Amino acid sequence: MMEMFSEVVAIFNRWNKKLVRRPILIFFNLIQPLVWFLLFTQAFSAIGKIPTFQLLTGTSSYITFFTAAVVIQTIASSALNAGIGLVNDFDNGFMDKMRVAPISKSSILFGRLFSSAITTVAQVAIILLIGLALGVNIASGIVGVLLMFVLAALFGIAWSGISVFVALNTKNAETTLSVGLLTTFPLLFLSAAVMPLGLLPSWVQQVAKYNPFTYIAQSFQSLIIKGFVWNNITNALIAILIVGVLSLGASILLFRRKIS
Amino acid sequence: MQTNSGEKMQRNIIEVSDLHKTYGKDVVAVDGISFSVREGEVFGFLGPNGAGKSTTIKILTTLLEKTSGKVTIDGLDVDRDQAQVRRIIGYSSQEVGVDDDLTAKENLLLQCSFYHISRDKANSKVSELLQTVRLADAANRRLSTFSGGMRKRLDLASALVSDPKILFLDEPTTGLDPQSRKDIWDYIVKLNRKGMTIFLTTQYMEEADVLAERLCIVDQGKIVSEGTPAELKAKVGSDKITLQFRADDISGCDKARELAEKIPGVEAVGQCREGVIAENGIVITAKNGPAIVTQIVRTLDGQGVNIQQLNLSAPTLDEVFLKLTGKTLNVIERKEAVGRGRRRRGP
Repeated sequence: MMEMFSEVVAIFNRWNKKLVRRPILIFFNLIQPLVWFLLFTQAFSAIGKIPTFQLLTGTSSYITFFTAAVVIQTIASSALNAGIGLVNDFDNGFMDKMRVAPISKSSILFGRLFSSAITTVAQVAIILLIGLALGVNIASGIVGVLLMFVLAALFGIAWSGISVFVALNTKNAETTLSVGLLTTFPLLFLSAAVMPLGLLPSWVQQVAKYNPFTYIAQSFQSLIIKGFVWNNITNALIAILIVGVLSLGASILLFRRKIS
Repeated sequence: MQTNSGEKMQRNIIEVSDLHKTYGKDVVAVDGISFSVREGEVFGFLGPNGAGKSTTIKILTTLLEKTSGKVTIDGLDVDRDQAQVRRIIGYSSQEVGVDDDLTAKENLLLQCSFYHISRDKANSKVSELLQTVRLADAANRRLSTFSGGMRKRLDLASALVSDPKILFLDEPTTGLDPQSRKDIWDYIVKLNRKGMTIFLTTQYMEEADVLAERLCIVDQGKIVSEGTPAELKAKVGSDKITLQFRADDISGCDKARELAEKIPGVEAVGQCREGVIAENGIVITAKNGPAIVTQIVRTLDGQGVNIQQLNLSAPTLDEVFLKLTGKTLNVIERKEAVGRGRRRRGP
């Protein structure tokens, strides 16, 4: 156990060093969420004037509501990179170096995932700062922001499991990238992230109930708009747990078995 | 097994029997290979691209699952005792598994942490290794600024942090310039002198000839031949001794021909002034060239025949390969390069 801890720390530090040396990578992932944050919210700002929207969300500002969607988009696109990093390791032979050493496969994955979670938190912090500049008010204050960082890190790790799974399966950067990009947007629009559940068509509502993005979005929305709605936060944690167990469990099993 | 000449060289440290590896349903990469490597030797696996060399080395280093057969490394089963096998081996892949964003020192320290080497020990180990591969001056430079040869040297060092009993090198000099190649050869020889067993694959005849005490020639997943380089060469052909005489010394050549035929061990003597020997000379073939040369010189000298020029050439591993597989390594390489390009995934 101690051995595994030091392995994870070593691999975690390696990825952090790589990131610090190429800080531009932190901003690459932010471009797309920022475009949405700045443009989508302008085009759709009139939504805030709908009385039902105000009733359901507790705010008349669409951008305040939409901040959660941008955060989720940021987490999802950051999660993509976890898988891409592993694909690069397969390509340049570093993966074989790690696999031939007497270290646990889980250490290789968790070292990567934890470092990726740090990136996610940094990116979410940038998004929230931009939100503040755009007039978004965070009702839960500084403690709420810290809680958002924790949720972002945990969901980031759980969601990274999916890109890691695809990466281990395909060992191909393009596939890993497109699977990630192609799932993020439909899932976003089939959740309560872009529009409150009550304003969605009923079939979308049904789908959204099974979509983890819904629960993550609702926890962030309430922390931003209302304050601490513990019910929403608990739901988000349950959603993260389910996604995490499935995605990471599958990745670890695949990684242990897959030898090629 | 012999026990008379020292205990170290005798034990088999790698034993492979009837190894098979099939990818998918019908791509046979390794097709029933058996061999053993003795402790303390440099053992070579020589063959063209696609012969099954990398597949074999990946199975031996626990990176790849075999389809069937038995592989033991220092008495440990590669499947059952995977974790223990990993503790006693070092591996340097064809791809050069180093991290370009880290410095040379950081790369080696990271490698040390994979083997749970304490910080103090790791520090001294790393500076020692950097000295050995002549990278001490570049210790704090990121690898993105390194040349191919430097990266390869660092990769070799990183395979050595755990003081492995057996070092596996997959095409250690492919793509390197001649000077870097010589450097790598020197390290391999040095490591072996310290008692490390080395298993290497290569597609270069010269490399196998210089480094390997014993080698297997592999082609299409099978071992075509096995032995010391000298044994392999002896199998296919004989040494050629070319004698030349002064252009006007016709009788000297004829007399030499007569005398040479009578020397025991000589297999054949060509005609005077025949074929490629344009001027005035003969070609003698014999299994044991050097010994025969001495006899020829002695005999001809005793009979007053003056040799103007003498040339002894041994068969090359190239000839061995050609004879055994019906093709030359170089031609295959070129075909592979055009047909498949380099195997690379991703951008």
